[in-house]
Amino acid sequence: MIVLAPNGEQQSLMPLNVGPSHGATHGCLRYMTALDGENIVASVGEIGYLHRGFEKMAEQGTWQQVIPYTDRLNYCSALMNNFAYCRAVEQMLGIDLPERAKVLRVIINELSRIADHFICVAAAAQDLGSTTGFFYLFDSREMIMVIWEKLTGARLTNSYGRIGGLYRDTYTGFEEDVLAVCRQVDKNLHDVHACFDRNRIFLDRTTGVGKISAERAIQWGWTGPCLRATGVASDLRKDEPYFDYETYDWDVTVGSEGDVFDRLMVRLAEAEESCKIIKQALKRLQPGPINVDDPRIRVPDHAHTYQDMESLIGRFKTVYEGIHVPAGEYYSGSEVANGELGFTLVSDGSGKPWRVKVRPPCLTQFAVFHELVEGVLLADSMATLSSLNIIAGELDR
Amino acid sequence: MDTQAKEAGIFTSTVDFVVNWGRKNSLWPFPYGTACCAIEFMSTESSRYDLSRMGSEYVRFTPRQSDVLVVSGTITYKQAPILKRIYEQMAEPKWVISMGACACSGGFYDCYCTVPGIDHIIPVDVYIGGCPPRPESFFDAMFDLQNKIADESYMKERAERVRDQLEAIQLKTAECKEELISCSHAKVDELKGKAEGLKRDMIKKATFWKEP
Amino acid sequence: MSHCENRVETPVVATAEARQEFAEKVLPILESRFGAVRDEDDQWGFTVVVDGAQLRNVVLFLRDGHEYRVNMLLDVVGVDYLGFKDYTGPRFAVEYALKSVYNPSRRIRIKVRVSETDCKVPTISDLFPIANWQEREVWDQYGIVFENHPDLRRLLNHAEFQGHPLRKDYPAHKRQWLSTNDFLLPELEARLEAKGYKIISRSKEVVPDAEEYLTGSIKQ
Repeated sequence: MIVLAPNGEQQSLMPLNVGPSHGATHGCLRYMTALDGENIVASVGEIGYLHRGFEKMAEQGTWQQVIPYTDRLNYCSALMNNFAYCRAVEQMLGIDLPERAKVLRVIINELSRIADHFICVAAAAQDLGSTTGFFYLFDSREMIMVIWEKLTGARLTNSYGRIGGLYRDTYTGFEEDVLAVCRQVDKNLHDVHACFDRNRIFLDRTTGVGKISAERAIQWGWTGPCLRATGVASDLRKDEPYFDYETYDWDVTVGSEGDVFDRLMVRLAEAEESCKIIKQALKRLQPGPINVDDPRIRVPDHAHTYQDMESLIGRFKTVYEGIHVPAGEYYSGSEVANGELGFTLVSDGSGKPWRVKVRPPCLTQFAVFHELVEGVLLADSMATLSSLNIIAGELDR
Repeated sequence: MDTQAKEAGIFTSTVDFVVNWGRKNSLWPFPYGTACCAIEFMSTESSRYDLSRMGSEYVRFTPRQSDVLVVSGTITYKQAPILKRIYEQMAEPKWVISMGACACSGGFYDCYCTVPGIDHIIPVDVYIGGCPPRPESFFDAMFDLQNKIADESYMKERAERVRDQLEAIQLKTAECKEELISCSHAKVDELKGKAEGLKRDMIKKATFWKEP
Repeated sequence: MSHCENRVETPVVATAEARQEFAEKVLPILESRFGAVRDEDDQWGFTVVVDGAQLRNVVLFLRDGHEYRVNMLLDVVGVDYLGFKDYTGPRFAVEYALKSVYNPSRRIRIKVRVSETDCKVPTISDLFPIANWQEREVWDQYGIVFENHPDLRRLLNHAEFQGHPLRKDYPAHKRQWLSTNDFLLPELEARLEAKGYKIISRSKEVVPDAEEYLTGSIKQ
C-alpha cells in the first residue's frame, strides 16, 4: 500500500501477516504488520484463536470440577493455576490450610515457576537461534516433569490441587528428587549464563529491543516478571503474602531497562530465587495432614468412608452436590509465573460456581505488543514476543 | 502402461519398497501447535526423548516443506479455516497426526467455540489419545504412521494416476469428437439452409422476371 | 540488572488493617461525592456499587487523587444474573478490579449494574489503555455496549458469531462455524491512520475463494 508519511514523504509499505501458525508465535497468536523495508511501521494484534470457553465450561460443573480446566490455562505451570484457583475458593470458604499443605504448595509452586521460566527462556533462545540454550534449559525441566509424574501421575496437566488441600501426599524420596532438581537447576543456570551473558549475538539481539517504561507498563496493567524488568519491585508473594511466603528469605528481582534482555534475565534470576525458597521449604516439611479436616469440603479418605456413616455422607455430598461456597463475589489474585493471575468468583450459595472469570496476566502484555514493536526490525518482534511469554491457553481462555 | 502396473511384479514392488523406505524414514513434521500438546511436542523434540531417532529430524514451520501435519492442541472455530488452508497448502504425499484428545474429539471442551474433532475439517491418518499424550505415545503414533506408509504402493498410485489421466484424456477426446460432429452437422445444416434460400431467391427472381 | 535507577517506589506489605483503613478512608468520600454504596455481596474484599454515570468520575478520582493512586486496572468482568437465586436487580453487572502498584493494600472493585433494556456503560479506555481490550471482551461475551469506545469489535469469538455466548440464556453447546479466515487489513489501515499516515492507494484485498468455505461440514 502506498501511504503519505507524517513528514510528507510518500512511502510504499508492505502488509505482512505473522501467525497464527508461525514458528515464533508459540501457541496461536497473530499480528499484522506494515513494513517499510524491514522496519515495522504499524502493527495490530488479534487474539481468540484458542478461545476454548473456559468460563462457560466452569459454570457447568461443581467448584472442584473447575480444577482440571485451570490446568489448561497456563499449561507450562499447571499446578500454580490449580493453587491460585483453590486459594481463591478457600478464601471465600474461610479455611486455613494445614502446615504441610502450605509448605508443599510453596515447593510445588516454585518448581512450576522454574519450569515455566525455563520454557520461556528456552523458547526465546530457540527463536534467537541458540539451540544449545534450549537443550540446557529443557534438561532440568524434564527432571521436574519426572517429579510431577511420580507425584501426580501426569506430566503436564496435573490437577493436583484440591480445594482445602492437595490430591494426595508425596511419595518416598520426594525430598531427594527436589534437591537433585535444585542442583541441576543451578548447573543449568550456570551453563546458560555462560552461553548468553557475553555472547555478542545474543546481546545485540536483546538489549534495547522491545523497551517499555515503568509508567507505561503500569498503565497497561503489566504484572509479574515483565513489570519487574522495568524496575518496579512488585511481587504478590512479597506484597500480599500467602502460603507464608513472608517467612522465607528471598529477594524480588528487578531489571532496569525493561527490554528483552532484562525480561529474560529477570526470569533466570527468579529461578535462582525459587531454588532458595525450595531449599528452605524442604527443611520445614514435617509429616502431618495435607487436607483440612472438614467432610463438607474435602472428601474423607477411604478408611473413614468405609467405617463411619458421617464420612460416607460427607463423601457423597461433596462429590454429588459439590462444596457449598457462601453466596457472594470475590476477586483473588495470586502470583504465578507470568504475573498476577486473578480469579473473580461469583457464588450463589449452591454447589456450582455462578461465574468464574480469569484475569490472565498475558492479555495485558499482548495488548501493548504493537507499541513495543513499532519502529524495530521485524526480526526483533520475534525476540520481543518470546520474551513476553504469551501462553495462548491463558490469553484466550 | 496400465496393464503392466495393475499386478505387482518384481520391478514394481521393489520400487515401492525403496520409495516407502525413503518416505517413512524422513518424515518432516509441521507442528500445528496450538495448546498444551504443543508443549509435549516440544518435549518430544528435545534431548530426553529425541524425535530425530525416528528420522523426523527437521521440524519445518512451513507447510510447503513438510510431510506430516501434527495437529497438537484444541482447534477452535476461529482457527478452523486456517487449519484447512494449511492442509491444502501441503504438497502430496501428506499425512495428518491428530495429537491429543482436543484435536481428536474436542476433548472435554464441549463448548460453543471448539471444533469437535479435526476430522470435521481435514482427513486424519493417526489419532493419539491423552490430554496431553506422553512423548512415548507420540512415538507410537509415528510407528503406526510408518507402517501405514510402508503399506502404500507408490507404483499402484502412479498407475492409478496414469489410468485416471488416460480416462480423462479419452473422455475429453470423446467429448471433443461429439462436439466436432455436432458442430459439423450444424455447419452442413446451415449451408443446406443457405443453398435452399439461394434457390428460393433464384426461383423468386425467375418468376418475377417471367411475369409481365 | 545490578543498578535499579528506574525503581519507582518501594512497595509496602499489605495487611488486613491497612486494607480496612483504606476502605474506611475512601468509602465516605465515594459515598458523599459520587453516591457509591458498599456492596455487601463481597464480604471478603472491598467493592463499591456506583451508578454508570458516575463511573468515570470515580475512576478518575481514584487514579489521580494524590492520596490513593490506584493506578492499575486489573480486570473488567461482566456478570449475568439471569436466574440468580433471590435476585431482583438489573440483569447485568460490569465490575472493575483496580489496585495500586505502590501500595498493595489499596485494592478496590467498582461495580456498575446494567439493565437489559439499556445495556450501556461509559468506556474508561481513555483512562486506562488496557480497558480497550477488556471492554471488547465484555462486549463480545455479554453484549454490553461501552459508549465512546474507539473500536468495539469482538475479541475472542470470530467475526461471524451471532449472539453473546456467556449470557446465561446462550446454550453451552450451540456451535457456530466460521466460513473463512478473518482479515486484519482494515485494522492495520486504521492503526496507520492513527499514527498520522495517510493512505493513498490500498493494497488489493485477497478475496476468499469459494472453495475455502466450510459449508456442509457441520455434523448435525
